[in-house]
Amino acid sequence: MLFIDLLVQGLIQGSSYALIAVGLTLVYGLLRILHVAHAGLFTLGAYIAVVVTNTLGSFWLAAVIAPPIVGLAGMLVYRLLYEPILDQPPFVPLIASIGLFICMEEGFRLIFGPYGNSFDEAPFSASLSFGPVYMQGVEAATVVIAFVLLGALAVLAARTRLGTAWRASVTDPQMAQSFGIDIVKVRYLNFFIGSALAAVAGVLVALLNNFVEPTLGSVPSYKMLAIIVLGGLGNVKGTLVAALALGVLESFGTIYAGHLIDRDAIAFLFLIIVLMVRPQGFFGKA
Amino acid sequence: MLRLENLSCGYGPMRAVHDLSLTVPEGSVFALIGANGAGKTSTIMAVAGHVAVQAGRIEFDGEDLTDAPAMARVRQGLALVPEGRRLFGDLSVEENLIVGGYARPKEATPGNRDKVFDLFPRLAERRNQRAGQMSGGEQQMLAIGRALMAEPRMLLIDEVSLGLMPKVVDLCFGVIGRLRDEGMTVMLVEQSTQRALAIADNVCVLESGRTVYQGTGEDARDNPGLIDAYLGLDRQEDVA
Repeated sequence: MLFIDLLVQGLIQGSSYALIAVGLTLVYGLLRILHVAHAGLFTLGAYIAVVVTNTLGSFWLAAVIAPPIVGLAGMLVYRLLYEPILDQPPFVPLIASIGLFICMEEGFRLIFGPYGNSFDEAPFSASLSFGPVYMQGVEAATVVIAFVLLGALAVLAARTRLGTAWRASVTDPQMAQSFGIDIVKVRYLNFFIGSALAAVAGVLVALLNNFVEPTLGSVPSYKMLAIIVLGGLGNVKGTLVAALALGVLESFGTIYAGHLIDRDAIAFLFLIIVLMVRPQGFFGKA
Repeated sequence: MLRLENLSCGYGPMRAVHDLSLTVPEGSVFALIGANGAGKTSTIMAVAGHVAVQAGRIEFDGEDLTDAPAMARVRQGLALVPEGRRLFGDLSVEENLIVGGYARPKEATPGNRDKVFDLFPRLAERRNQRAGQMSGGEQQMLAIGRALMAEPRMLLIDEVSLGLMPKVVDLCFGVIGRLRDEGMTVMLVEQSTQRALAIADNVCVLESGRTVYQGTGEDARDNPGLIDAYLGLDRQEDVA
């Protein structure tokens, strides 16, 4: 049963990767910016979960307000950081983004303290069993929530007029404008949705670990870059598959190769191997 | 309907078009002719709002559009069929049409879409196909159809014939003629002088961004060689 356990653990991990990575790939698709500071927004979501729960006493309140607050923060990042430098070569917004990410980590340290925060009373510590497979309730929730939210996003993109306009803006922003699409609004929407999804991942990871520290986003920040490159930059479907694949690979790798290689190094070994064989990623660029 | 007054436009410090003045009357076809790099596309893209106006004015239907964003111009009734078609390649035919009608109320989309399908039955057969996978001719039909979804009063059409089979070009020009007969105003950029002259009510010849000839399509048709002289062409050389 170890095999199934590892597979399930991998899917749980992969689901939270997917929630974070999708926002990153959406930003890349629309603006061709590697939005490193996205991982800082993920950390912000986790802090809101812990701090609001501890001070106001309601986890549900925290879980409900974290995504919209972080979504608005994402829109602010676009407006204040990226919009003024959109016509610069790509490395300029990349450097700005790395700078913002470092500032955010230091900001978290100054505001919430350097040692990390935990829930005063951990919510949802129940565990579930599905036949021989045991998991925490939060782990099951992570998978379900990721599938529901990403499924809803897929329906929005594929079946609605707004989603069609969104995809058109990704393909050819100038022509999209020529037919009356306000691409600035599309960008705000893009940052709002991507950041809100990262906040959901942050809330779930805070619950899973019952611990949030200023550098919570450091490892995800570069691991997410590996995922979106594997998925084909800007390709949403590819990114989701890459996120799940990496989660599963890490889960197995930790057990079977853990004595040789660190868990976080597995992601990059995988990235290097895939890019040697398929430089365009799993599915090619969007 | 469209008036350009001493229009100069270009990219950054570059000036692609100098001091162009012209008037396109309502319900007529106006052809901009000239060699590669003469400034035809820059002119049409300036009217669409994608090339910076450096001096002069663009007036459409009595309103000054010189500084209006591209997004606002489609609401005023200007729709673009750009050079190279520039369809949304990952989107289906039907989705491209939805985007074309984005500036109009959602309820108008099905009716307008059916009109486009009447005009180009081929598109109805391909409605679920990805635009990028279609043939050049089908893509050109879709580019025209997408523009019509915006319920324009004036179409800006750039190089409709480029790289297409003569049969498809005939079809496209047939549609343009039909639209004009129904009252549509059209500004046309063409490298194929004969095609353009066959349909144009008015003609303007550009050379290196400057106007070298303006007149009626009738004059140009009655005096074969007139336009070619301005283009510096021999009739035999005009193979397009």
